Amino acid sequence: MKNASAQVNITINGKELQVEEGISILFAARQNDIYIPTLCHHPALSEWGGCRLCVVEVDGSPKLAASCVTPVRGGMSIVTDNDRIVESRRTMLEFLFAERNHNCMFCPRSGECELQRLAYELQMDHLTVAFSFKEFPTDVTSRYMAIDHNRCILCGRCIRACQEIAGAQVLGFHHRGPKTMIGMDLKTERSNSTCMDCGVCMQVCPTGAISNRFRSHYAVKGHAPTSEKVESFCSLCGLMCPTDLYAGNNQLIRVDGCLSETAGRPDKGQLCYKGRFQVFQAPAGRLTQPLVRQPDGTWEVATWKDAIQIVAGKMADIQKINSGKALFGITSGMVSNEELILFKELMEKGWSAGYVDTLDGRYFRNLAAVYSKGNGAIAEASWKTIGESDFVLIVGGNPVRTQPLLTSLLRKRNYEENLKLAMVSHIDEQPSFITDYIHVHGHHLADLLRTLAVEAAALRKDNPAAGSKQSKGTATRLSQIGLADKEQGMFTSMARCYAEAKNPLIIIDTAVTGMTDCDCIAPILDLAKLKTAKGQEGQNLLILKPAGNSIGAWRAGIAAPSAPEGKDHLKGGIVLMGEEPALDEDLLGRIHSSEFVAVLTSYALPEWLDRAHVLIPKPMWMEQDGTFMSLDALEKAYRCRTLLPPEGVRPTWESLAAMEESIGMKNRIKSWDELRKKTEEMM
Amino acid sequence: MGKPKIATVWLEGCAGCHMSFLDLDEALLDILPLVELTVSPITDFKDFRFPEVELGIIEGGIGNEEQLEIARHLRSKAKIIMTWGDCAVFGGINTLRNWIPQKEVLHRGYVASESTVGGVIPMHAEIPRLLDHVIPVNQAITVDAYIPGCPPSPEVIAYSLTEILKGKIPVLPSEMIHFD
Repeated sequence: MKNASAQVNITINGKELQVEEGISILFAARQNDIYIPTLCHHPALSEWGGCRLCVVEVDGSPKLAASCVTPVRGGMSIVTDNDRIVESRRTMLEFLFAERNHNCMFCPRSGECELQRLAYELQMDHLTVAFSFKEFPTDVTSRYMAIDHNRCILCGRCIRACQEIAGAQVLGFHHRGPKTMIGMDLKTERSNSTCMDCGVCMQVCPTGAISNRFRSHYAVKGHAPTSEKVESFCSLCGLMCPTDLYAGNNQLIRVDGCLSETAGRPDKGQLCYKGRFQVFQAPAGRLTQPLVRQPDGTWEVATWKDAIQIVAGKMADIQKINSGKALFGITSGMVSNEELILFKELMEKGWSAGYVDTLDGRYFRNLAAVYSKGNGAIAEASWKTIGESDFVLIVGGNPVRTQPLLTSLLRKRNYEENLKLAMVSHIDEQPSFITDYIHVHGHHLADLLRTLAVEAAALRKDNPAAGSKQSKGTATRLSQIGLADKEQGMFTSMARCYAEAKNPLIIIDTAVTGMTDCDCIAPILDLAKLKTAKGQEGQNLLILKPAGNSIGAWRAGIAAPSAPEGKDHLKGGIVLMGEEPALDEDLLGRIHSSEFVAVLTSYALPEWLDRAHVLIPKPMWMEQDGTFMSLDALEKAYRCRTLLPPEGVRPTWESLAAMEESIGMKNRIKSWDELRKKTEEMM
Repeated sequence: MGKPKIATVWLEGCAGCHMSFLDLDEALLDILPLVELTVSPITDFKDFRFPEVELGIIEGGIGNEEQLEIARHLRSKAKIIMTWGDCAVFGGINTLRNWIPQKEVLHRGYVASESTVGGVIPMHAEIPRLLDHVIPVNQAITVDAYIPGCPPSPEVIAYSLTEILKGKIPVLPSEMIHFD
């Protein structure tokens, strides 16, 4: 065996270098700041050697070698730049341009295209070959990405990214020769394929072949190279994926995953359809000025100060007549820890509000057995253990709705390592990559889980009575639940896999925690405890959260421990904070008869225009700083804003602080730094 | 020797490159005294029987027989042919029709267009026929200098002319090449 760190001596352009044996010429050159142009090469992907842009002369050989796939050898003499090499590279480019439609002036990628950049660099000012003018299809069947095969140079980066980063193995080459095309599964269209729209193919595409459908006005918004890059992270689901955001003219242009940095994460910077595309889909009706409802029902623009005064005054009036018990505060779980802390303080200390909750309070209350204080609140598993588990049981539905990246990681491990996956669900929707799937009615789910816990306990290796037979009564219970023979077989296999697994993980999907009468948590805890030592309960339990910073709100103690009671509940004065358009139907129904509703929101949604009395604009998440917590509450990170809010829109904390000021609260927060410090201390 | 003679033609293009030339503004005053502009859309010559010129400049791709003839004729009279703009260099936006059969293009334009009633495709000996494809100029004649850009910026146009006046064939440096 060769010594991995053996050094060899080579010369590049006459310069003597010592490099590690076996690395590619390209890598050796880059290590030593010697430029070689590349096209099909991508630092995060395996080498392909297909584009021949990186050709170099080795030992004067008449045949040029692709530097990305040629390993260095001791004594090698390499030339990276002479007339012959440049001519060869330029000819390769000419072939690429001639083969399909690469007319820059009608391509949305012009200005940030690698093919174009190389043509400029190599001074390809005309073609010496004729264009083919062959037509290829354009695929717009995905709502997120368009694939224009006419722009494709078949570099295969998307295919390698789909396989190596996303692990989805959806993309591949179809047909042969000049008819070669990128295809999805066994078709040439993205719709109905197993693609999960993670968009990593789009990120690595060097040309305009795969483009973001939500960003068509490239020329108006500016191109990525002229725009500013902001290192950020996504706070939409709690996995806090690191992102590079590109913005120009205060508009978001591009969201990239950090492909080359793993930072202890199992995902290789993949991102998902939410993080990459949802951020472009802002709802209509951005709120930029405070609005106040007039006695005749119409809305009028008010100054920020007046709007704050009206809210404080109205809340005080209601408080005077009915005491603080008639005041309520409800916040979304998508906001930062700082906003949450200040909101809680204003509601509880400022107004002695009767009830403070989060939009997703129901999920929290269903998890009371997990989070109840004094009753031994358990530490949840890190979501990253998904990379190490040998058996994963998902309870509920496909996590693709809340945490798409998790689903992708599960699928990847299933494809690559044959990870055993099982799912019990009350939603009839079986993910294609999960074969052990049992669907039962919602009111049977808890029963099924209880039976599973009993069965798994019986099958445990350390259980002397363990045998290959089902434990007594199991068959009867399963028949009562209504499982067919085939499903009973799956049940036994699930129980056995769980019992025998060294490192099993149970994922509780929001479809379970969001149930109205949820009695599944206790049996899930029983099941989880089978595989953990005392004091480590929960270490094999991954609880998915409905909103990006749900756990932040829950840890801040905002979610109400008991459900609101009575129909007249929320009749008094309410302050709502949040920006998500997906609002709780139940909540909207209940605030209909409220005396006064003030909303801190980014959008003047019809729901608010229908029910609220004062709307105060709030920057959207990309427009303000804040700390967020990861799904498993194990990490938190501070993020600076990427965009400036519209003129006149003040940070949420300023609006909350102004309310505190107008009610004369003592010991109130007076600056962002103070709030940030306090949040740091409290959470 | 007198001032070098220049002829410019505008084939299948939008006049944008000539506009970019005019966009030289006061720099035109430095260049024009040094050359003799003969046949050109700017001088509004209608007669395309070119004189012998030192430099023939072509804007636009070649999409019909007339354009092909003009290009060939200019080549026969010019010592140096320089192409301006993406259309002349690559075919440019006109090549959009190359992905559609010619019959369909004509039918769509003269018969099936929304505002047309009883349209016919014009056919006459004096109307130049469309070529199957719009082609870049160098697919029809030998071209000496290529100045891509849609349009090339006035600075690039100025560079191309001053290089010629210095007796050189202009080759754009990387930072001056643009395809849009």
